[in-house]
Amino acid sequence: MKAIIFLLFCTVVTNVCAQDFDKNIATARSSYAAGNLEGARFAMEQLLSDLDAAIGKEILKMLPAQMGALKSNAKDDNVSGSSAGMATGLYVHRMYGLDPKTAVLDIINNSPLMNSIGMILNTPLMGSMMKDENQKTLKIQGYKSLLTKTLDSDTGKTNYELQIPMNNTLVTLKVDDTNEAEITGFANAIPLAKIAQLAQ
Amino acid sequence: MKFISGCAAWTVMICLAVPSSAQFLNKLKQKAENKLENSVDKKVGTGNPNQNQGQAQGGQGQGGLGTGGQGSGGQGMNGGNSGNGGLGQNQGGGLISTPPDVKQNLADGESAFKGGKFGEARYSIQQAMLGVELEIGNKILKSLPETISGLAKDATADQVTSTGSGWAGLTIARKYADGKGKEFRTTIANNAMMMSAVNMYFNSGGYAQQTGGQQNWKQTKLKGNRAIIEFDQNTGYKLSVPMGQSSLIVFEGVSFATENDMMAAASSVDIDGIKKMLGEQ
Repeated sequence: MKAIIFLLFCTVVTNVCAQDFDKNIATARSSYAAGNLEGARFAMEQLLSDLDAAIGKEILKMLPAQMGALKSNAKDDNVSGSSAGMATGLYVHRMYGLDPKTAVLDIINNSPLMNSIGMILNTPLMGSMMKDENQKTLKIQGYKSLLTKTLDSDTGKTNYELQIPMNNTLVTLKVDDTNEAEITGFANAIPLAKIAQLAQ
Repeated sequence: MKFISGCAAWTVMICLAVPSSAQFLNKLKQKAENKLENSVDKKVGTGNPNQNQGQAQGGQGQGGLGTGGQGSGGQGMNGGNSGNGGLGQNQGGGLISTPPDVKQNLADGESAFKGGKFGEARYSIQQAMLGVELEIGNKILKSLPETISGLAKDATADQVTSTGSGWAGLTIARKYADGKGKEFRTTIANNAMMMSAVNMYFNSGGYAQQTGGQQNWKQTKLKGNRAIIEFDQNTGYKLSVPMGQSSLIVFEGVSFATENDMMAAASSVDIDGIKKMLGEQ
């Protein structure tokens, strides 16, 4: 029964997305034909937003339903595509587990952090200057990644954050109360190559 | 005796044969290299290296891309220089700027979306958007005056830049100069990130106007629009005028005698017209 409801929900969402796309592409066409360039441009921004949302939903389908013992919280899934006035396009968010042990996965296109992470990972001199003792670089499924360890002073537990830049997409996985082996294990369950292909 | 003369003859023949065989080997090597170069050219599609000269000037996009972009034509053309040990220098080619076909890209985007290829659909829509933004940019450039404060426009410096990403924005640049060091540059940007930097001037108390000392910037108005004018001894005047929600026009004046001269020059630009073209209120 749950599966049927989920399928119905997906169908409704896809249809809404397709309707928006059809409406916006019609507006883009008619505005362009009428010489209303700014109107056409605005409609195209909406189209890009629609497409990012559609791509985000496809990515959500690819993500593992569980990371270790942590189950995904479907109600917290979030997908958005903002093309106008924002420094990003595609944004996908999924959370696993419940407080106090959670894993949060964010996939963002054109993140402002891409440059600094790329610098740390790819420029040895600059990287060594920018990196602190709680950071290390490692490879996840062949992608250079930045692992950052933080100590929660309130709980005394160790949290980790793993940032994986792929083309113009940044995948960030944050796990509370964990260790390096566990977070890299979680990251290896994410289909990074397929996400990079879809998101680019 | 016969044996000795025979040996001598053989020695002479061998001595003669060694350089000739070396020449033969050299020729063979040269031919092999030529064959190899030709086959590589064929594979890469650059053809005869000498075609580089002026091919791209014919307006053929592919010619420009093939010769100038890969540089192999330049290498071939300067093959004579390579014997001197110098690096070949490209003397032709270049990319032809062709705006994307908006209608075609919209059609491609629609069919890709219906086929479930969202990534391809996005690429096509971005290309369509790039085409529209370049058209907007060129329209704005056409609307700018031919001369400002007696300075003629430098058409070669006209520039429209767009990534087609929407959020990354559109930039339009025009330069006016008299060739004697006096310049007036106009940059129009449709970029939300740049806007936040300018709005910081307006909204932050830390940038309040001061009295006394050297005032290097101040708030002003240009044709009713709030603006900021800055002065730097080395770079001259800079007037930034935010337009609507996400656009900004920046005027830079070098060797302008006074602030009033600079403001008069900036006033000759139809800001309301540009705002309308960018869809700003």
